[in-house]
Amino acid sequence: MSHCSLLCQFFISEISAGIRLQCTVCHGTARMGNKQTIFTSQQLDAYQDCTYFTRKEILRLFHRYRDLAPQLVPLDYTNEPDVRLPYELIGSMPELKDNPFRQRIAEVFSEDGQGNMTLDDFLDMFSVMSEMAPRDLKAYYAFKIYDFNNDDFICKSDLEKTLNKLTRNELTEDEVRMVCEKVIDEADLDNDGRLSLEDFQHMILRAPDFLSTFHIRI
Amino acid sequence: MLRKHSTPSPRLCHPRVRVGQGVRKLPSFDMKIYFHTCFLKVVRHPSRKYTSLQHTTRAVPQATVKMAASRIMETIPGEDGDLFELEAVWRPNREVRFDLTHANEDIEAHYNEPKHRHTLQRSSWSSSTQKVLSSMPSRSMKWNQAAAVNQSRSTKTQQRRPLSICTEDQDVFTDQDDYVDDELLKKLQGLSVGESAQLLREMPLSVSEKRQMRELVVCWESGKPRSANRPLCLYWFQTCLKKVVHSDWSGRQKSLQLWQKVFKNISAHFGMGVLSYFVFLRRLLLFNLLLMLINGLFLLLPQLSNPSSSTRTSSEAEHKSNLWMLTGMGILTDSVMFYGHYSDCQNGSSECFENYNIPLAYIFTFGTGMFVTCVKLVYNMSKAFGKSQSSTNTRSLVFKVFCSWDFKVYKKRSVRLQSVNICTQLKEMLSELSCKKQKRNLCSMLRWLSLHLLVWSICLLCMGACIFAVNYFHLVRPINSHDAEPVYLLILPLAVSAYSRLLPVLFDMLSRVEQYNSPDIRIYVSIARNLLLKGCIFTALCLWFGEIKPKKNEQCWETMVGQELYRLIVMDLIFEVLYIILAQFFWGFCVRNVTLRRRKLEFAIAQEVLELIYSQTLVWFGVLFSPLLPAVQIGKLYVLFYLKKTSLMVNFHAPKKHWRASQMSNLFIKLLFIPSFTGALTCVIYVMWSVKPSSGCGPFRNFDSMLLIIDQAKNSHSLNWLNSAYIHWVYNPLFLFLISGAFLAIIYIHMQVVDGQKVITGRLQKQINFEGEDKKFLIDKIQALNELKSQQ
Repeated sequence: MSHCSLLCQFFISEISAGIRLQCTVCHGTARMGNKQTIFTSQQLDAYQDCTYFTRKEILRLFHRYRDLAPQLVPLDYTNEPDVRLPYELIGSMPELKDNPFRQRIAEVFSEDGQGNMTLDDFLDMFSVMSEMAPRDLKAYYAFKIYDFNNDDFICKSDLEKTLNKLTRNELTEDEVRMVCEKVIDEADLDNDGRLSLEDFQHMILRAPDFLSTFHIRI
Repeated sequence: MLRKHSTPSPRLCHPRVRVGQGVRKLPSFDMKIYFHTCFLKVVRHPSRKYTSLQHTTRAVPQATVKMAASRIMETIPGEDGDLFELEAVWRPNREVRFDLTHANEDIEAHYNEPKHRHTLQRSSWSSSTQKVLSSMPSRSMKWNQAAAVNQSRSTKTQQRRPLSICTEDQDVFTDQDDYVDDELLKKLQGLSVGESAQLLREMPLSVSEKRQMRELVVCWESGKPRSANRPLCLYWFQTCLKKVVHSDWSGRQKSLQLWQKVFKNISAHFGMGVLSYFVFLRRLLLFNLLLMLINGLFLLLPQLSNPSSSTRTSSEAEHKSNLWMLTGMGILTDSVMFYGHYSDCQNGSSECFENYNIPLAYIFTFGTGMFVTCVKLVYNMSKAFGKSQSSTNTRSLVFKVFCSWDFKVYKKRSVRLQSVNICTQLKEMLSELSCKKQKRNLCSMLRWLSLHLLVWSICLLCMGACIFAVNYFHLVRPINSHDAEPVYLLILPLAVSAYSRLLPVLFDMLSRVEQYNSPDIRIYVSIARNLLLKGCIFTALCLWFGEIKPKKNEQCWETMVGQELYRLIVMDLIFEVLYIILAQFFWGFCVRNVTLRRRKLEFAIAQEVLELIYSQTLVWFGVLFSPLLPAVQIGKLYVLFYLKKTSLMVNFHAPKKHWRASQMSNLFIKLLFIPSFTGALTCVIYVMWSVKPSSGCGPFRNFDSMLLIIDQAKNSHSLNWLNSAYIHWVYNPLFLFLISGAFLAIIYIHMQVVDGQKVITGRLQKQINFEGEDKKFLIDKIQALNELKSQQ
């Protein structure tokens, strides 16, 4: 469906699952994800209730997940197989490959904390990073991503690591130190020298750009 | 050098350490060890030779070095024969304490800042203090999840992994999971289906945990899954309705994913700034679609299905027009495209259906279309305004560090460019902070002022010349389009498009000479100049239209105005296409391959968006005179989208300057509403009210003013209810007075509430500070008590 993918996208609704669509102009066909064999309808309901995706998007994401390792991921998920893709595969996705925070993102959303993700973790990651997720939820996960040592506070070393990743180590020592001091000065509300989740969320409330930057399109 | 031995007790060895001093850059050091007046960077060289040089400086006392050596042995795992190099960085005036608590992580310390005089010094806590602290309520899972349960809409901290503050007694508090899960489940139980799904989505739990919780809720209620309890069609209807009501029609609807993949590609390469232009284009497309739908259903279809008996004679010249598609003359003149074709339904039923009054439909369709557009614009503006209710100090470092990385960008080169951008901006901000703004002396101030005045005066002169030129055209060609050759008709629209497109480029080049204090001011000044230019062009066009007078009684000035606007829009498209081909493809090719710099062009977002706003203004102005104009605009936007996207990918590089996308998008929505929409609407309403419609054609040929048809309709029997409603509600001063009084009271109440909330926020802030002070005080006391106890 090369030329008319636009029109077909326009009119596709999420009820038409398991049906073959044929474009009347170019006679190209597309098959909507044949959900009867991948997920049961209860599973799809559950995923729909737990993420910000529709059925069509969940199936599309499943196919993206499967494309990373077709030999590891079965086509039949009705029995809840315990399949975990290693971090190297997740980090090789084009959307994450060059992102300096990809390791932290994978670690935060994975169950084992090492970046090896199941399908649930995969869906969770892209659901939180999608544009429908609310600000508080995104702020929570952003906090966890920037908290490199997982002590539930963003301390100075976390800030230094964040800055070095943002700027690819281009800033000098002094500049990094000054920026960290300024950040803690401005954002630390309870004066303990590091940012807690409340400080971070309070700061995010005042940030106009956060929702549009903390967003991955998939 | 330090050699690591594989003995079990490394403290027994006395390694010899070489310490260098200075700012020599070490290759990616492994860790830092902080001491009283300096810190040591430690680098491990896995395969270097061991040498026995020993050299210390007076910056680092011997004991310090020995301590460093023993710490290194404890903490850095290494092979036999590894070399450890220490570099001391001298830090006077800084008191640093050594922190021992994190065994496997980076050893760090807290600096004793002058401001944080009573900073929590975790370095000196004893283990009993740490045990007490780790059991503080704010650190335990129970409190956090209970807080999440109590607040249905916000999320609080939740631990996915145990805390790492205290190494002992960690698992004392991890069995609180069950207790909290029950609470959460009870909360979910009490809500309806949609609300519980919403609450579930917003919880910061993993999807597998959420699914388990959902299963429990479902099992609790009844043995069956929830979807079996209600009919499938009702569920489907509910979700559809929810989508329609809650979705934002300006493109975020899940089912209307026009151009989603293209947007992803664009944002991957170019980031949010350039993407906002294309999103704006899509938004305008949807506006025009809406207008077209309303016009098409209520005006076009009835008119097309009328038995038409056009008694108007048209001369031969009008039918024979070679460039009818470009000029709107010829076949299009007497078609549904323009005002003149629509019947006035006065003389019996020969022209229209009995029940459908086309003139009334014309007025109401126009009114409804404008009303719906206005409502949607105000809705979008208010949403954007609500989102941007933030502190105005957006130049703060905190936002730059945490909110500036655009995760949508994923192409390697663009990612690198983004890093460079952020680095540059951080350096700029730091330099701003460190050195104050220099006061200009009188001479440079005068020079700066005169330069600005010069540039502004050149810009204003250009705009004046533009107005003059547009009005001068009536000397070149006669006002009456009836006798002119079709080609002459196209000169004016071409000239207007050229001014509109090329003068901003000139302004841009001139503004490079000026110096501005900040890049934001530069953008705002450029937007202001462009806006003034567009305003001048529009004013000139209005004056030009004012001079259009038909030659004979049969000609319609409305149709002529409609044709002029049609020509403007079509020529704008053609000029745009030519511009893209010549100035972007051709010139971009030259710049890339011929010049030595080998760089691409830069996308001027503000100018492009203002172009879109200008063309949309023309459409809104012309809808009254040419009901099919939105369809032309839709076609134009469609072509422009694909052309611009192709040109973008080939000729442009990712933006080097920072573009505050959300603020600029808000600004552009506001500009779309206030000067563009309201200006066009005001002009059109003025025309409708004060200018007499032509008596030879159109639906209003028998009226003195277009709005008088409403008076006539009021008196007819079928619309009695409208008439009475009008007299009793709209015309009644008492009613209007009450309504406006109520409105003002509501606004006043809201303002008072907002003021009160500001006061409360300030007080809560102070309370947080006090609580923090209390906490530090208590921790110090606990520590003191524990020390006392351990000494006894």
